Amino acid sequence: MKRNTLYLAAAAAAVLAAALPAFLGAYPLNVARSVMTYMALAVSWDMLLRSGQISFGIAGLFGLGSYASALLVLRAGMDPAMSLVFATLFTGALAFTIGFAVLRLRAMYFSITTLALAEIFRIVLHNLHDFSGGPEGVVLPGVIFGGDTRALYWLCLGGLAITLGVSWYFEKSKLHLALTAIRNDETSARSSGVDIFRYLLIAFTITSTLQGMMGAIQVQSYGFTTPETAFDANFTLLPLAMALLGGIHSTLGPMAGAVLLGIASEWLKLKIPYGHLVVYGIIIVLVILLMPRGLVGLARKRRTGRGA
Amino acid sequence: MKTLVTEHLTKRFLGLVAVNDVSFSLDAGEILGIIGPNGAGKTTFIHLVSGILMPSSGKVLYKGRDVSYTPAHERARAGIARTFQLIHPLENLTVIENVMIGAVFSRGQSLKEARKSAEGICESLRLGDLGRDTASLSILEIKKMEIARALANGPEVLFLDEVMAGLNTDETRQMISMVKAIAKERGLAVGVVEHVMGVIRELTERVIVLESGELIAEGPYSEVSKNPRVIEAYLGGAA
Ligand SMILES: Nc1ncnc2c1ncn2[C@@H]1O[C@H](COP(=O)(O)OP(=O)(O)OP(=O)(O)O)[C@@H](O)[C@H]1O
Ligand SMILES: [Mg+2]
Repeated sequence: MKRNTLYLAAAAAAVLAAALPAFLGAYPLNVARSVMTYMALAVSWDMLLRSGQISFGIAGLFGLGSYASALLVLRAGMDPAMSLVFATLFTGALAFTIGFAVLRLRAMYFSITTLALAEIFRIVLHNLHDFSGGPEGVVLPGVIFGGDTRALYWLCLGGLAITLGVSWYFEKSKLHLALTAIRNDETSARSSGVDIFRYLLIAFTITSTLQGMMGAIQVQSYGFTTPETAFDANFTLLPLAMALLGGIHSTLGPMAGAVLLGIASEWLKLKIPYGHLVVYGIIIVLVILLMPRGLVGLARKRRTGRGA
Repeated sequence: MKTLVTEHLTKRFLGLVAVNDVSFSLDAGEILGIIGPNGAGKTTFIHLVSGILMPSSGKVLYKGRDVSYTPAHERARAGIARTFQLIHPLENLTVIENVMIGAVFSRGQSLKEARKSAEGICESLRLGDLGRDTASLSILEIKKMEIARALANGPEVLFLDEVMAGLNTDETRQMISMVKAIAKERGLAVGVVEHVMGVIRELTERVIVLESGELIAEGPYSEVSKNPRVIEAYLGGAA
């Protein structure tokens, strides 16, 4: 019965999310888009975290997807909708290649390398004036779907739905066993026949692909971007804070964190335009100190009387 | 052809020779004891055979095939399984999930099939309540789970690294008969590392003795235990 109620709740939430444009105006829909984008990034970050690898490269892959999509339209004359597909695949292919190098690293070395890679992407695009538009960035001929607020909302929801679907698959398939075993103890995982590199490469490639996809959707929805916007550190920091707040190693936790922090961040941006990052920082520190398993962990503890 | 053979197997750690020129063989249906004082190189030897460590020199032959540098996960799939002396708590998976891993990744079973075979293995080890997470397990249950995890690989060779350590007399007796039954039923080649000589005496037909990485004696326990070099090694270790 527990499983059925879960599916029912998921179905209800999906219908509600899809129907939202019928009730909401342009501003709330834009906020919802931002929340959904961050939610997809938070969930995708968590998916790799389930293997124990902490990536600081979300903004890098997001920005890469953004630029790939924009440049496919501008330089190759590709149809914007088509460019979403190819930019997503491009990010995935690049992540697959990079994976062979970075996935030899562990812990801090992995994290810092992903951060550095994001910075390298940004600097390269910043300096390739003729190709990428340099620091001024790129302006597309138009916004996808003629800029229709509802269509943009559904596009973003589609990206989120794909991400959640993949995350759910991660939880239900043998990937769950492989990634958790790797996170627990690599030596014992190897002795049980787990090809560690293979599963890390799968997880890294898929999560990077999803992050690139959200970047592509973002740039086509705004019609322009710059290296500083596309590779904004917020795209790394906020999803991280959201996942930590909601509870890591699950799909539900990062989702909950994204709703809370996403809405709070909109409000904070209005109240303290330059200080909101400080508030995220404080939230990250407080969550790590006070509830290392996040809100979902806290709820589980309430129910079962002990830690998850 | 012997199931598992090592030839001049050697492992150096920055000057320290942890396993030194060890040649031995292990056959299907045999239970071999591996003894020696603390730091003798027993665990390192198992690491070399199972692929967790690669040798500095020498060979590991499995069913006639040279697997000296084959990655651990491939050796697991080929049929070499082992337990770990230092068990890290795997709190994020339930007991059954822990055991399923080997069936899924070594034997290539689907989740459904793996659950079934894992349940079968746990039953034969009398390990129950499989939905628990592992934080609540007793020492005996943890040791049983370790063995179950290794058996889930569907191995032909099984190394047990101090699985009796920390068990009381009753539990040890229970474990001995269980290991014997499993080895016989599956026709396994088993290598057992233990410090408790009573266990070695009851469980094994033959032992090898390591000291400072070297194989210093080999034979039935009753003979080896009278060997002056072995007595010296143990007394030297205790002094
Ligand atoms: N990774 C390593 N790096 C350096 N030295 C190591 C390493 N692993 C083991 N050693 C050393 O190799 C020697 C053999 O260790 P090993 O763990 O194989 O002994 P053991 O026979 O299993 O001992 P015990 O009975 O205490 O478990 C020891 O001196 C140990 O300190
Ligand atoms: Mg040892």
